[in-house]
Amino acid sequence: MRFEKLVKPGDLELAGQILKDDPYSVILGGYTFLRISDKKYSTAIDLSDLSLDYIKDNKTQIEIGSYTTLREIETSSTINRYWGNLLPRSLENLVGIQFRNNATIGGAICCRLGFSEIITALLVLDCELVFKEIGTVSLLDYISNRNIKHDILKKIILQKREGKSSYQAMRNSSTDLPILSVAVSDFDKISIAVGARPAIAGLSEKASRLINSDRSKIAETAELIAEEFNFGNDLRSSSEYRKKIASVLVKHALTEVLS
Amino acid sequence: MKITLKINNQVYTTHIDADESLLDTLRKLGFKSVKKGCDTGTCGVCTVLKNGKPVLSCQILAARAEGHDITTVEGLGEKADEIVDAIVSEGADQCGYCGPSLVVTTYAMKQELKDPTIEKINQYLSGNLCRCSGYEGQLRGIKKYMGVK
Repeated sequence: MRFEKLVKPGDLELAGQILKDDPYSVILGGYTFLRISDKKYSTAIDLSDLSLDYIKDNKTQIEIGSYTTLREIETSSTINRYWGNLLPRSLENLVGIQFRNNATIGGAICCRLGFSEIITALLVLDCELVFKEIGTVSLLDYISNRNIKHDILKKIILQKREGKSSYQAMRNSSTDLPILSVAVSDFDKISIAVGARPAIAGLSEKASRLINSDRSKIAETAELIAEEFNFGNDLRSSSEYRKKIASVLVKHALTEVLS
Repeated sequence: MKITLKINNQVYTTHIDADESLLDTLRKLGFKSVKKGCDTGTCGVCTVLKNGKPVLSCQILAARAEGHDITTVEGLGEKADEIVDAIVSEGADQCGYCGPSLVVTTYAMKQELKDPTIEKINQYLSGNLCRCSGYEGQLRGIKKYMGVK
């Protein structure tokens, strides 16, 4: 990625105005994946001075500022208390600690990357995103609707939930991006998300309905997952392999959650 | 654009392009221990400390490093020697290309891990790739330095 000018606005309004006035501007997150893209922008907007780096423990929810690094989330004692340790587990194999010390949660979400592991995990939680202009949207709506763009993500809101969860991923080598990722949560009902297909993560409807109607149908649910989602080819894996791995990972995750 | 960086407790003022990486700026300023490897955030040889935490200097804009404490292996002084001695004692110095980044990351790990184990060490160092792939010797030395048997 190349750009001509870097600006560091002192308040959110000014940042929003710069973004609005210049269609060739971009909001910087951790500048990890953006950097290796081949796009050119006129202005890069750095929000480092806007105090968007925080994890707040409210009564019923956790708020995470969009500039919070993935490593801060991974090692946060607050985050570790909820959702069966799901978020740290989805992050611990991502490239390396140096990378996670720089990559931000906002960047990870707003890039809508197919291989994003944190999106797979967040999908099975009650996750809402708060933007400057459009306000609050669910994570699922955001990743499903590519028209939501050119806005500033302020924070992520997660409802506190008690229960079990599981995160499973298959990768060709230990710190490589996954060829498939699966997250399952069981709070008041079971939710299943499948990511890195290599398309962006999706939330299961059919398979989730089946396992919620009969919790003994783990094998059938795992088979149904392979039919419910589309799987693609890329350098890391073929679609056929992904399809088979999806069933295996969902079976492992459901077994862990329902044991 | 003109920026001022604090590197190894010394202040440097320099002119950079807006989209210049901290890695390129550090090398221009003479910090050649910071290597340019993959330049895509994968290999870890450009690791430096930003406010004491290991980061990839290829993925940080030089302009965004203003106001932060940047430390390279040159800035660790005798603290680096201790780690180097542990690695060399196991015959694991090899070609040396990944050495500075490994030393910097190991130093940060020592500060951060209160209860180090082999598993935690392996995970902490997973972002440091060695072209010679001689990890066993390196890990023996680092375990010794970390006090892990």
